[in-house]
Amino acid sequence: MAEAAAVIGKTIKVKGEVTGAGNLVVEGELEGRVELDHLVIEPTGNVTATIEVDHLTVHGKASGNIEASRKVEVKATATVFGDVRAPSVVIEEGAVFRGRVQMDVGIDEGV
Amino acid sequence: MAKTIIGNTIVIEGSIEGEPAVTVHGTVKGKISSAAEVNLEKTADVEAEVEADILQVAGKLRGKVAARQKVAIAAEGKMVGDIRAPRILIADGAQFKGNIDME
Repeated sequence: MAEAAAVIGKTIKVKGEVTGAGNLVVEGELEGRVELDHLVIEPTGNVTATIEVDHLTVHGKASGNIEASRKVEVKATATVFGDVRAPSVVIEEGAVFRGRVQMDVGIDEGV
Repeated sequence: MAKTIIGNTIVIEGSIEGEPAVTVHGTVKGKISSAAEVNLEKTADVEAEVEADILQVAGKLRGKVAARQKVAIAAEGKMVGDIRAPRILIADGAQFKGNIDME
């Protein structure tokens, strides 16, 4: 994994807005809004937020509206509640997901 | 085990029900309900309500899906519709638009 610009540790709770460039790794709790390049939610991480990123990887818990310009990966250990919008969404076996998925690829015409 | 295969030159409008395993290479419009497994292969073009233990989508599917065990959308799969299943897998490259509900 690329070097993280920021890490929110296991015992840390952040409430508010996190914006900027680079990668953010969340091992703790984050509540509010996130806008950056790559957000990684580790198995211990719990994010309740409006998320706007290029790339989101979830191993832990995420809830809220999620918009990624590139990709969303919901890993086997993840729990995700909310609406996801991204050109590519991958959900691994074992993940728990409830919500809408919208891949903007014009599949209405193609299906 | 009795097995139903719908070839890629076949078009079915209506419903396929009660078969333990259904594999579709062709076109189905209507309803598919199986006690076991439904496989929609790469050439499949299905517009239907689908009910099964396990559903695998490698072709095109438009419709509402309820699986008792698992729904898997393969990398080549394209689906528009709502899914209800305890386990759901969407592979990298798959296209999907709809609601997901895992109980």
